[in-house]
Amino acid sequence: MSEKSVTTEEAAEQTAMKRVTDGITLGRVGLYATLIGLVGFYLLPIESGLVTSIKTPTGLDNTFPFLPPLDAGWITFEKWQVAFDYLAPGMVNSMLFTIPSTILCAILGSMAAYGLTLVDWRGQIAVLALFIAGIFVPYQAVIVPLFQFWSQYMQLGARLSFLWGLPLLEPHYATILELIITHTAYGIPIVTLLFRSQYKTMSNEMIEAARLDGASVWRVYRRIVLPLSIPMFAVVFIFQFTQIWNEFLFSLTIIGSTNDPAASATLILSGLGQSLEGTDYPLRMAGAFITALPTLLVYVLFADKFAEGVQT
Amino acid sequence: MAETQLDDVRKVFTETDGNEIVAVNDVSIDIEDGEFLVLVGPSGCGKSTTLRMIAGLETISDGDIRLDDRVINDVPAKDRDIAMVFQSYALYPHMTVRENMAFGLEESTDLSDDEIAARVEETAEMMGIDPLLDRKPEELSGGQQQRVALGRAIVREPAVFLMDEPLSNLDAKLRAQMRTELQQLQEQLETTTVYVTHDQTEAMTMGDRIAILNDGELQQVGTPLECYHEPANVFVADFIGEPAMNFFDVTRRDADGDGAVLVNETLEYTVSADISTAIGDRDDLVLGVRPEDISIERSEGDQRRADGHTVPASVTVVEPTGDENIVYLDLGADRSERIIATIDGMSQVEAGDRVVVHVPEDAVHVFDGETNEALHNRRVESNEPRVPNV
Repeated sequence: MSEKSVTTEEAAEQTAMKRVTDGITLGRVGLYATLIGLVGFYLLPIESGLVTSIKTPTGLDNTFPFLPPLDAGWITFEKWQVAFDYLAPGMVNSMLFTIPSTILCAILGSMAAYGLTLVDWRGQIAVLALFIAGIFVPYQAVIVPLFQFWSQYMQLGARLSFLWGLPLLEPHYATILELIITHTAYGIPIVTLLFRSQYKTMSNEMIEAARLDGASVWRVYRRIVLPLSIPMFAVVFIFQFTQIWNEFLFSLTIIGSTNDPAASATLILSGLGQSLEGTDYPLRMAGAFITALPTLLVYVLFADKFAEGVQT
Repeated sequence: MAETQLDDVRKVFTETDGNEIVAVNDVSIDIEDGEFLVLVGPSGCGKSTTLRMIAGLETISDGDIRLDDRVINDVPAKDRDIAMVFQSYALYPHMTVRENMAFGLEESTDLSDDEIAARVEETAEMMGIDPLLDRKPEELSGGQQQRVALGRAIVREPAVFLMDEPLSNLDAKLRAQMRTELQQLQEQLETTTVYVTHDQTEAMTMGDRIAILNDGELQQVGTPLECYHEPANVFVADFIGEPAMNFFDVTRRDADGDGAVLVNETLEYTVSADISTAIGDRDDLVLGVRPEDISIERSEGDQRRADGHTVPASVTVVEPTGDENIVYLDLGADRSERIIATIDGMSQVEAGDRVVVHVPEDAVHVFDGETNEALHNRRVESNEPRVPNV
């Protein structure tokens, strides 16, 4: 009796083992090894940056860049404080132009896409072609004209000088305004295309039903199309916010100097920790993380809607 | 509520390569106040385009559309006081049923919020959708969505209802039920309705009058029974009625007296003086007879009756539908022609049977073979015409 039960237990154990080993094939092992390798590959620079940002000069000299500071005395958060102090005005400036131009891009792009997709009029395709062409205009091609346009022809600072006496307004807001307009104009084509791809899938009969229900072109947009494109707005918010926040060339062209009161976060970051004595790596790393934080925050805020929008 | 007139309405689409396609060709229909008119025809016949022109969703190339004697060609869709029910229902997915129904009233009238809410509730109750008022369209079944789409049109109390195949996405049973309900609703509301369908059963059962379109041309406008018993041409005769009318290409041969004989390789059909007169001296003819007018008699051998209205045949297929049998027969010795007959469900006919087919003369239609126009239509003797078999 007992012998028999032992053999059945053994058999059960063997089949269980077999089941486990059955699942593991060479292909699966390879797949997971590759995946883990890729995770390491992508995370290593971030991890190196993070550990570097909290090292003292001694710590920096005595450890590999990707290793954490091994001695408690080598750890300091001072650089984060310094970087934050340097970057804070830039972060405010960046917010001041990124948020308005992101919102403007989304609203104007969605309206343009509506007009080009769901409203019927002659010459639509020609106008659409202009928008598409706008996507492919390289930044380098517009830098010189852009600089001349703002500094010679528009001169917003001088023209709006009557405003700067008002409370809460400062002369360097003219530069911020220039950046808002530039980023909005540059972002509209791609945003229009994104919205258009969604609007093309919208039921034509639904739009027609709304028109027959007595809604004007504007009311159809306001009450039908706009509420239905909220997920796409999330996609555009994340996409445009990241683009404009990280943008450097326009900042360099329009703002010019790191010392300008309108200097953006990216512009200040470019000079952070650079001096004649050498590069302050911990400071640069801390600065980079601080500058990247808002884009992460935006992604977290809109992640749900973003997933919905990407599906459409 | 309004009288609607289409006067030589024409729609031409221009393709990108400059080709012009006439979708609707000089269609004229007077739709009376409170009438239920069904536009019917095969797909691509221009019926939906006609409807969309009435709605204002499609421009009119030529002709006039009048609503109570006012030309509305250039009135934008939103100002036409017309409600439409679409095939896809076209509900607004982000709004509840209540908001869907209120939308039209909010956009097109100056009613206060309370009045709008009251009208929505009232209509929803009438349509039996009041328990659904706070749901979104995606939470409704197809049939419920269909009802909401209908309710959304009704709540506006428009001058004209337009319906573009509103029942075609429902299953057969629900469709039959909604057909009856729609008819009752329309009678109750007395609103002029134009209903587009490709389904001749819907056309026959629902319309006060039906307008049959083919290739953008209006073929005939009339009551369902007129179109059934007195088709204007071969197309109408073929389109209306299920199973379709049987047609035979024949030529005329003079017979004794005033009559004539219509002949082809298989058939020899004697007609009397009045049909012969209607035919005149035309030679290229089409003889038509509805399946339900044909009777089948058992026979031993190939016997023909002396009246010249019978032909021997053999049964190839019998499709029983319960109340009747649809019988497919091959005619003549060489079996070159096929004829379909519907006979009583209780009669015993089986595939392979040799029979004699009898086609009564008062049930035949004769058409001109070149123009396809009707020359002679069947006589309807009784005051109460037989109910068409649809």
